[in-house]
Amino acid sequence: MKENMLVMNKKNFLGAVCMAVAFAAVTTACGDGTTRSTGWEFSRNMYDPLAYNPDQPNNNFKNKQTAQTPPAGTIPQGFEKFADEYSNTPEDYQKAGAELTNPLEVNEENLTQGQHLYLVNCAVCHGAEGKGDGSITKDRSITDSRGTRQLENFPNPPAYGRSSGANSSRGGLMADLSAGKIYHTIYYGLNTMGSHASQLNPEERWKVVMYVQELQKK
Amino acid sequence: MRNISSVLGRFAKSISVSLVLLFAVTMSSNAQDAKEGAALFKANCTACHKVDRKMTGPALAGMSERHSEEWLVKWIKNSGALIASGDPVANQIFEEWNKVAMPAFTQFSDDQIKGIIAYVKEEEAKAAAKSAGGDGAGSGAAASSDANTLMIIGVAAILLLAIGVIVILSRVIRTLEKVIANNAAAIEAAKARNEAHEESGKVKFAQKFLKNKKLVGFTALMVVALLAVLGWQTMWNVGVHTGYKPVQPIKFSHQVHAGVNQIDCQYCHGGAYKSKNASIPSANVCMNCHNTVTAADHYDGETSPEIMKLYRAVDWNPDTREYGNNPRPIEWVRIHNLPDFAYFNHSQHVSVAGLECQTCHGPIESMEEVYQYSPLTMKWCVDCHRTTEVNADNKYYDQLIEAHEKLKKGEKMTAAMIGGLECGKCHY
Repeated sequence: MKENMLVMNKKNFLGAVCMAVAFAAVTTACGDGTTRSTGWEFSRNMYDPLAYNPDQPNNNFKNKQTAQTPPAGTIPQGFEKFADEYSNTPEDYQKAGAELTNPLEVNEENLTQGQHLYLVNCAVCHGAEGKGDGSITKDRSITDSRGTRQLENFPNPPAYGRSSGANSSRGGLMADLSAGKIYHTIYYGLNTMGSHASQLNPEERWKVVMYVQELQKK
Repeated sequence: MRNISSVLGRFAKSISVSLVLLFAVTMSSNAQDAKEGAALFKANCTACHKVDRKMTGPALAGMSERHSEEWLVKWIKNSGALIASGDPVANQIFEEWNKVAMPAFTQFSDDQIKGIIAYVKEEEAKAAAKSAGGDGAGSGAAASSDANTLMIIGVAAILLLAIGVIVILSRVIRTLEKVIANNAAAIEAAKARNEAHEESGKVKFAQKFLKNKKLVGFTALMVVALLAVLGWQTMWNVGVHTGYKPVQPIKFSHQVHAGVNQIDCQYCHGGAYKSKNASIPSANVCMNCHNTVTAADHYDGETSPEIMKLYRAVDWNPDTREYGNNPRPIEWVRIHNLPDFAYFNHSQHVSVAGLECQTCHGPIESMEEVYQYSPLTMKWCVDCHRTTEVNADNKYYDQLIEAHEKLKKGEKMTAAMIGGLECGKCHY
């Protein structure tokens, strides 16, 4: 009988412990899991780099930035002096269009990479097929903490395809743009399009040009 | 006085609105033209023009006052030819807009162009009515200034009332104090009795509680368990920033940009596929779209205050559409931070392993504010590396297999042949 009592007590006790832990776990798991603070940190200096990270403030430079723009007239490895020879004028656009040709060989590898770069960097406005119907040109709405609202439509760029018969703002059909003209536009931007020179290196730009010239045939 | 002037102002505004509307109605005599013009305008003009705002080309509002219809038709049909013909107005505009040529629209008939002009006039009138509506909001502002005077009167009334109440209350207090002073002895006695009673009640409860050993034991257990769980969680989360969501200098929403707009992650974070660092985009990347996108629809025609922060950072003047020479960096707060002793390379995971950004960063496309999704602990890395299968269709492994074959054959192999001369092996 006494043993039985003990067993009962043990069960009760274990039950109580389980309940207590469950209660504690539930009460400490409140909130949506996000916080404005990093919480406790142990030896923070092991997280902070000795060398400067590119995005870090830096008192050694006048503008207090670590990432500096390269000195004027210098070119990164693998880049060419495009800006020296062709400036951002309609005349030099025509000149680039007449003089430059794509230095890369048209093959499947380059085209696939060109397509990928096009989808990442251009399709958001120009559309996946180059029809000038990218996702930000379409009607779309958002629901967030500010409520539901319509987002602004970006103006449609002209389509590349021959079948569209769209005109370039600098004359001629979009489908007739030469490689050099497309390259000039990627480098400097045109009308509402900004310069994409900082996002694509020369080789990548030529790959995009190659893919755009494929889209022109459509 | 203010009331009279605001009433007059409202009257004048409503008259001007009705005049503008009347003007619009009389001018767009052929609504069909304007309708066709609307379709043509949207298909051909919106890439460079807005009615109320400068874009690549000038704002179109008021163009019919500035130029004759005949001139506008000539200009739209072939601005280049008009400039070449030496037309002084055409040349002046061309120079003013840095020789940005407007493409020729020779495919349009004169009537079609007149339709477009009619549409622009209609839009102009609508915008004027809207801004008059804004003046409606302005008259609303006048109304709110009326409301302000009302409020001031109300506040004054409340103050007066409060002072009155205070005066009355202080009198009541004084009389009550007198009563207390008169009956001090009786009150003391009553107090003592009350306290004894209350105390015995509390003591009784405490005694009952303490007698119930089970209850005491259980309460103690709860407290211990709570502290233990809290302590356990705190200790395990030292240096783990899961859920860290700092306030950023600009309320940039990934939900808008990556989610709804479907802008590819790599459009902005271009380093992710070719470098160690995914890179925070420089502000010129933002300006690729935001030289046009101002979210003015949601801010009564003004640029969104958050986008204004971007304009200040790149020193862009949205009215003249020119950059100044005093840019200031946007100081984003870093969220994901690996300790400096751990090496991590984005391109290795994005380009070679082909991981989606969401695998580590979570549902970024639905985050209005970004928070850290993964713990970024060593265990987290190791757990994934233990189960991830290697994609051996990769030139790196060709070289590895080649090296093994050579070793098997007993050929001589130097460190240089297996990448021992790569700069990064020593200078990282």
